[in-house]
Amino acid sequence: MGEIRTEELLMNIGPQHPSTHGVLRVVVKVDGELIVDADPVVGYLHRGTEKLAEDLQYTQIIPYTDRMDYLSSMVNNHAIVNAVEKAMDLQIPERAEYMRIIVVELNRLMSHLVFLGTYLLDLGAMTPFLYAFADREKIVEFFNRLCGARLTYNYMRIGGVKWDAPNGWLDDVREFVPYMRKQFDMFHELVTGNEIFLQRVKGIGQFDTETALNFAMSGINLRSTGFNWDLRKNKPYSIYDRFDFDVIVGENGDCFDRYMCHMKEMVESLKIVEQALEQIPEGPVMGKVPKIIRVPAGEYYSAIEGTRGELGVYIVSEGKDKPYRLKFRRPSFVNLQLLPQLLKGQSMANLIAILGAVDIVLGEVDA
Amino acid sequence: MSEETKAPETKAPETEVAPEPVDPRVERGNERLEFLRAQLVSTFGEDVLEAAELKQFQPTFTIKNAHWVDVVEHFKTHAALGFTYPQLMAGTDYKEHIEVYVVVHSFTLDYDVALKTRTPRENPSIPSITHLYAGFNWEEREIYDLLGVDFPGHPDMRRIMLEDHWIGHPLRKDYVVEN
Amino acid sequence: MADFFSWVDKPLDGMAFLNMVIGAVIVLAFILGVVTYTIYFERKVIGWMQWRIGPNRVGPLGLLQSIADVLKLLIKEDIVPAKADRNIFLIAPILAFFPSFMVLAVIPFSATHIFTAASNVGVLYYIALSAMTIIGVVLGGWASNNKYSLIGGMRSAAQMISYEVPLAMSMLGVILLAGSLNLVKIVEAQQAFPYVWYVVPQILGFIIFIISATAELNRTPFDLPEAESELVAGYFTEYSGFRFAFYMLAEYVYVFAMSALGTTMYFGGWSGPFLPGWLWFAIKVSCFIFFFFWVRATMPRIRTDQLLTFAWKVLIPLSVVNLVATAVLKYLLK
Repeated sequence: MGEIRTEELLMNIGPQHPSTHGVLRVVVKVDGELIVDADPVVGYLHRGTEKLAEDLQYTQIIPYTDRMDYLSSMVNNHAIVNAVEKAMDLQIPERAEYMRIIVVELNRLMSHLVFLGTYLLDLGAMTPFLYAFADREKIVEFFNRLCGARLTYNYMRIGGVKWDAPNGWLDDVREFVPYMRKQFDMFHELVTGNEIFLQRVKGIGQFDTETALNFAMSGINLRSTGFNWDLRKNKPYSIYDRFDFDVIVGENGDCFDRYMCHMKEMVESLKIVEQALEQIPEGPVMGKVPKIIRVPAGEYYSAIEGTRGELGVYIVSEGKDKPYRLKFRRPSFVNLQLLPQLLKGQSMANLIAILGAVDIVLGEVDA
Repeated sequence: MSEETKAPETKAPETEVAPEPVDPRVERGNERLEFLRAQLVSTFGEDVLEAAELKQFQPTFTIKNAHWVDVVEHFKTHAALGFTYPQLMAGTDYKEHIEVYVVVHSFTLDYDVALKTRTPRENPSIPSITHLYAGFNWEEREIYDLLGVDFPGHPDMRRIMLEDHWIGHPLRKDYVVEN
Repeated sequence: MADFFSWVDKPLDGMAFLNMVIGAVIVLAFILGVVTYTIYFERKVIGWMQWRIGPNRVGPLGLLQSIADVLKLLIKEDIVPAKADRNIFLIAPILAFFPSFMVLAVIPFSATHIFTAASNVGVLYYIALSAMTIIGVVLGGWASNNKYSLIGGMRSAAQMISYEVPLAMSMLGVILLAGSLNLVKIVEAQQAFPYVWYVVPQILGFIIFIISATAELNRTPFDLPEAESELVAGYFTEYSGFRFAFYMLAEYVYVFAMSALGTTMYFGGWSGPFLPGWLWFAIKVSCFIFFFFWVRATMPRIRTDQLLTFAWKVLIPLSVVNLVATAVLKYLLK
């Protein structure tokens, strides 16, 4: 039989595509359904946050961080205020610290719920998406009561948080925790045991710890390879050293492990919220800070454990009220670099499974 | 002899705060700084260093452009150092020169080090370290895109955020937005 | 009503021809009604499963929603992409639709089948015609000159050809038991002596049938040809307006037809106590349709290679086993 002449097909997946989670474009060369080469093209959502920040006072930068990883704005808020406070060596009131931890962990949970929903949607199951969003809605509602916004909270301030919890808010969150725990049983029953789901994610998109470290991956992408690295434990910031929680690590570093890490991390977040609710003291939520915030001249880098990995803020200050240079180390952006390697030799269907499991937010990739 | 002249400079702030109880974080930082500095000098000599200082508890080394790759490789591969985990790469336009700032983490020593290098604003160029840390691939592209620094040795030097035909580099301080 | 089939043993005259046309139009209208409310039913059922309400705005309880959707599709501009293969592009949806409607000719809706034919090769006729839809799908995917469409069309061809085999082979067991390819005879055979529906002796065959049917219908978890998250909309990415409606219509007519076929082959068709035959038929078909929707609300999508491996390495050997076992059993019991 003679050789059949075949041609590679060049496909643009995105920037408008149902499952690139925004405006990512992946230029893939496919041979039949197998991907020969993939080149992610980013930047469609580039708003120049870093450039804008150079003309803004530190407090004015906070709402801009909301728009980076728009699924976990609280965490972004925390990154910038934490960085500035560290640079200024500010002490903030206890209650504010606890409020921050509560909202950040709730936000992490919320963002992981979006992951759960959209990932399953990518894999073709519609129902978990709606279930996850129904529960996410409850957290969104909490945040709405707390700061009047559902997505872009602008809640934290340098030196504390803007608002104390309204009446009954803490009690409602306290009630929510056991409810949410029960929900995970349902998710596991619906999704984790599904044979088709396991077939789609087990052994797919696998990489080892060494690759992950070399590619500067962080967060769940790194931990899923079995490497224990969580900034909340390894470089404790805020008051994370007061809580008892486990760092979830995977074994194989495949999509299934990443999925399981997300699922288990949500439970850990609930644990932290629960403990924080027990320990939270009365008191002010805003510390004494100068009217105009001036970071002393110098260079500062500090990072927190964001939802998707190490969320770092690098500040160059000349001692003025505006940063000379502000750089965000965005985990989605860094994690995405491995994508071309992961995709080589995979099928089109796996592209979606792999991209979904790397869990990027385009607002953060492009900043 | 440059060691003699440089050393007091970096220690100057410390002697100033000496009367007060010394912050343990500064003390720890200085220990690390001295250790890393000694490691570096014993291998490369003094010439590769432009400065070695503590910036808010963070040991920070400014490396000469020409030795950039060698020094970074040393930090990564040396058994006693093992800074294998790249964390941050950022470029800054300082009006007189452009600086690239890198933070890498060592699991052997369990702390970070900040490495910097400088390049003139005209035809800025810094040798690429992507072959050492694959995680800096896109970061270097971003710096190329937004600050216009060329990274010779980079496998895929293209703009990343902006369109290919964009004129200028927005993160430069003298960038003017055209209407 | 016996006039309707007068042409079987008498020469075809004008009256008989008119009857045929009228019968076809009535079935078509009936099917359009069924499809309209199948879509409504799907949206309501899945909405209910997903903690939402589903359509509830157009008409009471949203009952007119599908009609509004169809109307919208019909009055939309018929867009043909500039680089498409125009003629094929235009004809493909029709090619996909007409066999889906034709297969209904052999389905016995009730004991007194008025508008449908009691053909002696009913099962073969169904399989042969339903295979023709692939042509419409592949042509649509090819002619669109769109890469997603092309991949969707190719996937569809691979999938439908693969699953046609176990589907047909699973039905052979029933045919062996009934000793006829005539769907009416198959129903009557289930009403006769052992008084059990064929789903009981043919349970393995039925499982193979329902899996292959899901795949044949391109429904989740086998909806790869139109895998939204990968291929946008698969082979009908470029279609809009009434041509898109044709594809959708074909898909839902097939859901109905496949459910009707399953009911007839495995669940005794119209037979059942107390209630009139047509109602029994409707109930059974609804259960089938509900099952398809239920699976859709539960399952993620399988991957192409897994799908084909599953067909050739699992379903086909199993259906052969089923066939042989049935034959041996029948021989021994005779």
